[in-house]
Amino acid sequence: MIDELARLGVGSLAGRAPWRHAVTSAAYCVLALFGLAVVVQALIVVEARPQDLITGIHGMADFIRRAIPPDFTKLPSTFWPTLQTVDIALFGTLVGIVIALPLALLAAANITPSRYAYYVARGVIGFTRAVPDLVWALLFVTAVGLGPFPGGLALGVHSVGMLGRLFAETIEQMDMAPIHALELTGARRLQVFTHGIVPTILPSLLGISLYRLDENIRSSLVLGFVGAGGIGFQLLTAMNLFQYQEVSLLLIIIFVIVLGAERISAALRERLD
Amino acid sequence: MLRVCGVSVQYPNGKRALTDFSLVVGPGELVVILGGNGSGKTTLLRCITRTVAPSAGEIWLGETNLCELEGEKLRRARLELAMIWQHASLVRRRTVLANVASGALGRYYTLRTIFGGLPPAELHAARGHLAEVGLTDLAEQRAGTLSGGQAQRVAIARALAQRPRVLLADEPVASLDPEAAEDIMRLLQRLARSERIAVLCVLHQVELAYAYADRVIGIRDGRIAFDLPRSQLSREEVHRLYIQDIQEAVAA
Repeated sequence: MIDELARLGVGSLAGRAPWRHAVTSAAYCVLALFGLAVVVQALIVVEARPQDLITGIHGMADFIRRAIPPDFTKLPSTFWPTLQTVDIALFGTLVGIVIALPLALLAAANITPSRYAYYVARGVIGFTRAVPDLVWALLFVTAVGLGPFPGGLALGVHSVGMLGRLFAETIEQMDMAPIHALELTGARRLQVFTHGIVPTILPSLLGISLYRLDENIRSSLVLGFVGAGGIGFQLLTAMNLFQYQEVSLLLIIIFVIVLGAERISAALRERLD
Repeated sequence: MLRVCGVSVQYPNGKRALTDFSLVVGPGELVVILGGNGSGKTTLLRCITRTVAPSAGEIWLGETNLCELEGEKLRRARLELAMIWQHASLVRRRTVLANVASGALGRYYTLRTIFGGLPPAELHAARGHLAEVGLTDLAEQRAGTLSGGQAQRVAIARALAQRPRVLLADEPVASLDPEAAEDIMRLLQRLARSERIAVLCVLHQVELAYAYADRVIGIRDGRIAFDLPRSQLSREEVHRLYIQDIQEAVAA
């Protein structure tokens, strides 16, 4: 019976010659060695020195000793940068949505009005996404000067890419049968859009946007490091002035903001359907 | 009401889907089309809705030749030409009522229906159409929550909201259980009679054709095999329609 199967080439092992088994094993060995080499070169390139972690404990302990307790008298002065940080994210997300939505309509293969518009929109989305928001912030700081505005612009432009792609994918995965059905009833193009496409995709688009807001709040904390305002800028200043008790206060605030944004965004997204 | 005169369709790959095909469906008449897979049934319906352009022939809806229409005129003509499919194709996140009323969208200017709104008169009429298909209670439910049979009724109600002169149905009961299938066929028959709609229905269930059709048209290889009133339709005729395909397949 087994011989029969082997003759038919059904049994994978029975039908295989011994030398082929050896070749496969050798190939696995080479692959494993190659993987090991990749890891080792990474350790060398990043100059990984585990012993420094042990000697560095002293420095870390010193930092923590000097940072505790957090300086809560500075709390009032953190209010404005905190608001700035949240508002930069809000502004960036709104700008992103307003620009990404029409782009996504052009960049969705199933409803795009023309091939050219499709490629142009895909190009814009790809480019704005490929350049990181921190780099956009550097560019905008150079262009419009320090402050929260370049931060908002940076998040806005980067969000165009991130939102545009997800929006377009959502539209492309939409069930088209109801849309074609509406077209055949003699409804106008715009009516098919407002009565068929919008109600189908709106909850998904809102969910994506809320998630983007959450991500943007986290990004906006970092943007201050390159001079784009908000709590990140205050953190950088405090670090440079060795005000470690203020640094620890700011870290607590950042923790609260990030966790709060994540929770609120998740709770709102859960209600969508 | 609906007249298909000598329509031929040749696809770009050279395949002939329909050859010199003619039929007439009068107001209040329920005509069933039978035929094997690939015989040209769906192509015929697509021709009538103008999603496929015939290479020859004319299709008349009342006094209008659909084949001559383009753009805005075609859109207006489609208002009187309703269609249902095997799957109901409803907008799942909208209410049943909104889905039904959306059949009337094309009669209104875009501005009046923007942001998903619909004229109150149409919503009122939509309740009437829902009553006609026996689903008054489900008006406020989301379309996505309906069973297959209910969804198909809503699709028919949406078709009624178009106030159509012709209703095309492409295998409307193919994914329904036998009881729901009978319900839908009874409904189509009743609507044809009471609203004087010309109903052209593609079916695979021969028994349903015997039970509900006024006339049965057999289609084979894109040509008319027979076009008979139900009373004159013999079992052998229908049998030949399907058996010939099998014989050809065996011979090949």
